[in-house]
Amino acid sequence: MEHASTTVQILVPLLSIVIVLTILIARRRNLFIRRIEGLTAIDEAIGRTTEMGRPMVCSIGLGSLDVPTLQALAITTYIIRASARFSNRVIVPIADATIYPIAEVAVREAYVAEGRSEQFNADDVRFLSDRQFAFAASVAGLIAREKAAACFYFGSFYAESLIFAEMGRQTGAIQVAGTPSTTQIPFFIAACDYVIIGDEFYAASAYLSREPTLLGSIVGQDIAKGILIGIVVLGSAIVSIAAAVGSPMGQSFFTLFK
Amino acid sequence: MLNQLFQPAHGTALAGYILGAIVFSLIVFAALMAVPPRFRRNIILMATFVGGLFYALEFFWPVHAMPTPEDPTRVGNFLSPYVVPFGDITTVIFAWTVGLGVINLCQVHGKRVIKGASGAFNSMAFFLSMIVMLVVYILQQAHPNAINKNMKVLLFDGGLQSLDATMFSIIAFYIVSAAYRAFRVRSVEATLLLCTAVIVMLGQIAIGQMLTQRIPADPHNFVHNFRIEIIRDWIMTKANAPATRAVAFGLGIGGLAVALRIWLGLERGSYFESQG
Repeated sequence: MEHASTTVQILVPLLSIVIVLTILIARRRNLFIRRIEGLTAIDEAIGRTTEMGRPMVCSIGLGSLDVPTLQALAITTYIIRASARFSNRVIVPIADATIYPIAEVAVREAYVAEGRSEQFNADDVRFLSDRQFAFAASVAGLIAREKAAACFYFGSFYAESLIFAEMGRQTGAIQVAGTPSTTQIPFFIAACDYVIIGDEFYAASAYLSREPTLLGSIVGQDIAKGILIGIVVLGSAIVSIAAAVGSPMGQSFFTLFK
Repeated sequence: MLNQLFQPAHGTALAGYILGAIVFSLIVFAALMAVPPRFRRNIILMATFVGGLFYALEFFWPVHAMPTPEDPTRVGNFLSPYVVPFGDITTVIFAWTVGLGVINLCQVHGKRVIKGASGAFNSMAFFLSMIVMLVVYILQQAHPNAINKNMKVLLFDGGLQSLDATMFSIIAFYIVSAAYRAFRVRSVEATLLLCTAVIVMLGQIAIGQMLTQRIPADPHNFVHNFRIEIIRDWIMTKANAPATRAVAFGLGIGGLAVALRIWLGLERGSYFESQG
């Protein structure tokens, strides 16, 4: 079992306090966050789906009950809410049985929230397979058979990312992707129309919903990143100076953040 | 205490435990279903908070030596002995959800077979594969004789694994078409990407390294920096790695923020009602 080092015992609670404080501030004040191109494209994709009268596919990846998958599900529910206003059909393929009941409830609630509960079709939230390439084959087949007009890939992806994205491209779907799996970002960039990178993935639900709590946490994230950048710059300076004057202080700094 | 309570059981006791667990689970399910949705959400929020608090405290609380015969170097705190029994709850929930997943698959494909809709043949193949795989696997576990073992090897290693490998190999062709589009010279950025990719690819292969083999290999000679493998290493370690780490920093902080929102029940707008 892993436990926190002293540095982590200080740093993580400190960053958590910063994030929670900004959330509390955001409930009283309007906060600004910049425009994110990839997320603005979601509306474009929904509009195109409406024009074409074909379904859209929202994949939340291979992840289990973890933070990236729950975030992907949050983004998916916003997409469904936006598309429900135009009576678009949305298919949500699921790879993990644990997340399936949660996804089904979240999707149903998204339709209910828009007053379109009759549009919800339980068969459109589909558990396909928990085997990576069986799931890849199923989703690729689904995209091809249903001739998806738009494909959204948010969540944890592995080697199957390119299979999905290339199949979507072959069917002419507009594709938007966002993943915390850094090794898959290049594949999505090569095959998708819009890709959100890095922590933009975690900013997505705030950007789309404009909920004060979520906006506050995004600002908190930026402050936390500022603190980390400060530590990196300070550390680089200390280690460089220590190396130049032959002091062991640089090594101590390394040990502290090991 | 929990470890003593959950000792492995055998024979009649095991059957009793299984039956008791099913009855207990059904009672919990029925009780949860009877609770009005508004209170159900509060129960979920409370369970999430308690679960998160347990793991956070166990991770952050100072540790001391807790040696066991299996691991003499083990460290932990007062919550560490409960991590395994607590984790077993996740396994139990997972076992129930697998059943839900199978029910969903049977519903979707069953409807298609009954209606004779397009793709009914594929749905029948699904049922056939599932039943055959299930029967062979149970037989192999119950009677591990040569026939049953070979049947399992034939279906699992010979069939399923080969199909997996086939899907995986398709990626090679998709990489080519994706790389072609990514490397097309359409803009300054795409040209930069193309040049960088060519340098890295040439630096990876012997024929590429031959191009600059006449440049001195002495690291004290400045010209040495123009050897293609040195340029490749510089791109990978000084440009690519820092960029990837920067993305990882952002993802780490973003993950922390989302985890906090879920743990403290602040993510309501995403799954439940908006904040208004």
